[in-house]
Amino acid sequence: MAARVLLQCVRSCARPSLRLCSGNLAVRAAVIPAVSTHRPLSLAADRQRTRWFVRSPILSVGVLCRQYSDLPPLTLETIKDRVMYVLKLYDKINPETLQTSSHFMKDLGLDSLDQVEIIMAMEDEFGFEIPDAEAEKLMTPEEIVQYIADKKDVYE
Amino acid sequence: MESQRGPHVLFTYLQRQKVLGIYRTMLRTIRQVPDQADRKYLRDWARQEFKRNKNASDQDAIRMMVSQASRHLEELQKTLALARS
Repeated sequence: MAARVLLQCVRSCARPSLRLCSGNLAVRAAVIPAVSTHRPLSLAADRQRTRWFVRSPILSVGVLCRQYSDLPPLTLETIKDRVMYVLKLYDKINPETLQTSSHFMKDLGLDSLDQVEIIMAMEDEFGFEIPDAEAEKLMTPEEIVQYIADKKDVYE
Repeated sequence: MESQRGPHVLFTYLQRQKVLGIYRTMLRTIRQVPDQADRKYLRDWARQEFKRNKNASDQDAIRMMVSQASRHLEELQKTLALARS
């Protein structure tokens, strides 16, 4: 609580002085004494802040590890299974006609909007972004699998 | 005949890329909405709107819808930024 009040105080002091830095020199010179009287305050707040910063990275690293540690290793086979699984869940695709080599537009009768949605679903599933230029070239499940395998450094 | 068709086809292609780009950005933006019910609602709304007008061929109408979509997108991004700050 005390730290928060201190920070608030320092911020309200720091804001006018920051704005004045870009102003003319005469105004800045007039402000210097006012700023220097607040020094002790800001130093204390700084120390408080560094303590916060030291603590937070450790916490976040711990959380990250817990999230990613139990993912199975990616192989071409698992990537293919996950891609096909996502495609089967997509409401406009008939799971029975779906092959790894079927073209989304020619064979499955989807349009370009559906293709965009499929790529977005893949991004959700594998947790990384596919750039637009690459995304519009991916037209079959095979190509998606190949692309993801390349990105994730998976080889046979 | 060919010389007349060429630029038109290219223009349609560019416009199509633009629409797909907006659609992609829109879905990406909607993905950042924190509440799950809101997210689903917005995603369905975007999908419906794009699907509803996918056969439009009037150039002016398409241009108008593109600008409308970018306005919606901008609004959405602003609201998200506000909600996060």
